[in-house]
Amino acid sequence: MKSKRFEALDARPVNQDGYVTEWPEVGLMAMNSPNDPKPSIRIEAGKVVELDGKQRADFDMIDTFIADYGIRLDNAEAVCKMDSLDLARKLVDINVPRAEVVKLTTSMTPAKITEVVGTMTVLEMMMAVAKMRARLTPANQCHVTNLKDNPVQIAADAAEASLRGFAEEETTVGIGRYAPFNAMAIMVGAQVGRPGILTQCAVEEATELNLGMRGFTAYAETVSVYGTEAVFMDGDDTPWSKAFLASCYASRGLKMRFTSGTGSEVQMGYAEGKSMLYLESRCIYITKAAGSQGIQNGSVSCVGVPAAVPGGIRAILAENLIAMALDLECASSNDQTFTHSDLRRVARSLMQFVPGTDFICSGYSATPNYDNMFAGSNWDADDYDDWLIIQRDLKVDGGLVPVLEADVVAARNKAAKALQAVFKNLGLTEITDAEVEAATYARGSQDMPARNVVEDLKSAEDMMKRGTTGVDIVKALSKGGYEDVAAAVFGMLKQRVAGDYLHTSAILTRDFEVISAVNQPNDYRGPQTGYQISDEKWAILQNIRQAISPESI
Amino acid sequence: MDQEQLIRQIMAEVMANLGKDSVTFQKKSPTPGGSIGRDQYPLGEKMPDKVKSATGKVLADFTLDKVKSGELKAEDFRIAPETLEMQAQVAESVDRDNLARNMRRAAELIAVPDDQLLSVYNALRPYRSTKAELYGIADELEQKYQCKVNAAFIREAADVYEKRGRLKVD
Repeated sequence: MKSKRFEALDARPVNQDGYVTEWPEVGLMAMNSPNDPKPSIRIEAGKVVELDGKQRADFDMIDTFIADYGIRLDNAEAVCKMDSLDLARKLVDINVPRAEVVKLTTSMTPAKITEVVGTMTVLEMMMAVAKMRARLTPANQCHVTNLKDNPVQIAADAAEASLRGFAEEETTVGIGRYAPFNAMAIMVGAQVGRPGILTQCAVEEATELNLGMRGFTAYAETVSVYGTEAVFMDGDDTPWSKAFLASCYASRGLKMRFTSGTGSEVQMGYAEGKSMLYLESRCIYITKAAGSQGIQNGSVSCVGVPAAVPGGIRAILAENLIAMALDLECASSNDQTFTHSDLRRVARSLMQFVPGTDFICSGYSATPNYDNMFAGSNWDADDYDDWLIIQRDLKVDGGLVPVLEADVVAARNKAAKALQAVFKNLGLTEITDAEVEAATYARGSQDMPARNVVEDLKSAEDMMKRGTTGVDIVKALSKGGYEDVAAAVFGMLKQRVAGDYLHTSAILTRDFEVISAVNQPNDYRGPQTGYQISDEKWAILQNIRQAISPESI
Repeated sequence: MDQEQLIRQIMAEVMANLGKDSVTFQKKSPTPGGSIGRDQYPLGEKMPDKVKSATGKVLADFTLDKVKSGELKAEDFRIAPETLEMQAQVAESVDRDNLARNMRRAAELIAVPDDQLLSVYNALRPYRSTKAELYGIADELEQKYQCKVNAAFIREAADVYEKRGRLKVD
């Protein structure tokens, strides 16, 4: 006979998720694997000759790159010999300032830092994240995509997302050749919602760089790195090519961060029997070594792998913490869907939501999940009110603010119209008034009329051939009467001349003031220090449209 | 924030009184180990009169009207090597030496045309180039664009690729 209790449990969403038992030999283990190397470092004549149990003669490409560029050597041997538990306590201890911890962590080897965070509970890691996050003020990032690559909808969704508080917005494509339109649409839309929003278009490396050079995007993020040489080769790159790419972006005044995450190596079948966290720590050291200001990590698109093994969500928090401890900007994932359970998805996100990170989600889907072209997100537009109310419940600033329906409708309408003007003045395919109207009130692409894809792609290709740039978009906006939006796009282009936003954890205010870990570093030292929600901000966060005021009763 | 606004205001007033070419407002050009640090940051807000584009135009003079009139073109929105050097010094002033090193590699690459930059990147991908080809690219970057740091970096990559069997096999 079947237990009714188990029958009910089996039907729960959490039991539609996949789980596996640990299998250390193939790397199906989140952290603390018996196969992880023991920390060691030996330096002779200023050169690392031994790293984590390996002699230089046996170094693979990644070992070499990390040994030569990734570790602060002057104190590395001494730090390696320090007790890992003592070091972990310093990470958590509010009486040890962040700067002091960074001196130690940046002197550690990948195996050492893995061992250090391996002693910590998630609560202790969250305490450490509150202190080690590079930027004082936490922020959030969203995805703006749709199934049809409809640029009008992208512009409208981007404008709404800006209004709702996201500091960065990311798009990608269903069809590769739509990239220029999507990049333009998210930039114009985002600037309508709130000037100073950084936008990007995640596509193949060379195309992504090209869009940035033209002034269609302000930053790039999908510069992926991996923890074993074999997987790196599968990814068609090397630490040197990626470091060179990082410099290419900076040479054009574009912000850039790397991307990595636990589980990618085992998913691609070359984990070398190491734990996911140890391999991820190598990715973070490659990022540091290449001179990237930051990283998007937290398993990201491989989240299903760590989420299936014991302690996997803990390992994801641990990898975020390692990135922050190495003084990197951390866009802490909370993006790709990994579970059918609403309880699990919230529990997973609280790890970053409560302490706050540079970008809690990277990103939060600014559309319904069916329109998310990054394989769905852990949070989406249908969850906006849940996120806002959890912020209000816990008095946490998770980067979003309540908005009024009328304001959202107005911003969406203006963004769609502004893009309509840009398309018209650049001689691109037509955006009809009917499309503007649909985008204004749409929830997702199911509410949008179909576009002529063939004509769009031809038009986009032709625009690229003509050498259209961000400057042309500014002119087109101005010609269309959208002077304020033209000024905002111009403000974004100006940023690349100064390069201030190339620094760690940089975002922009609506007045184009740069906020980064240089001028607003995290100075958390316990209660009533570090980032505090101001009275003004708290009033905004409280003021949700659903709340009944005493006056109304 | 208030402090920054105050500084910007003071800067603006000083500039208005002195005029741009006044001898009493000389700033030495940035040199490695020079005086730029976190206090000057953000450079675009605190010293826009000292930040120039790759085309030599002063950031403080950038206006929307000049874009509309065609006086400012797309190429004017390119960062200058001197600016990236200053940003590298800012990074060093906050102990971010790796980021500074990246910015200095980038400063060298400003002069390299977009297409060539993309082709160098592609050549650095695994199994794309022979050792001689990579050394050739390094030589060209060094001779044509004075990319000393990048040239050494590419030669180093070639040596590592050789050791690890990641070069193109003829």
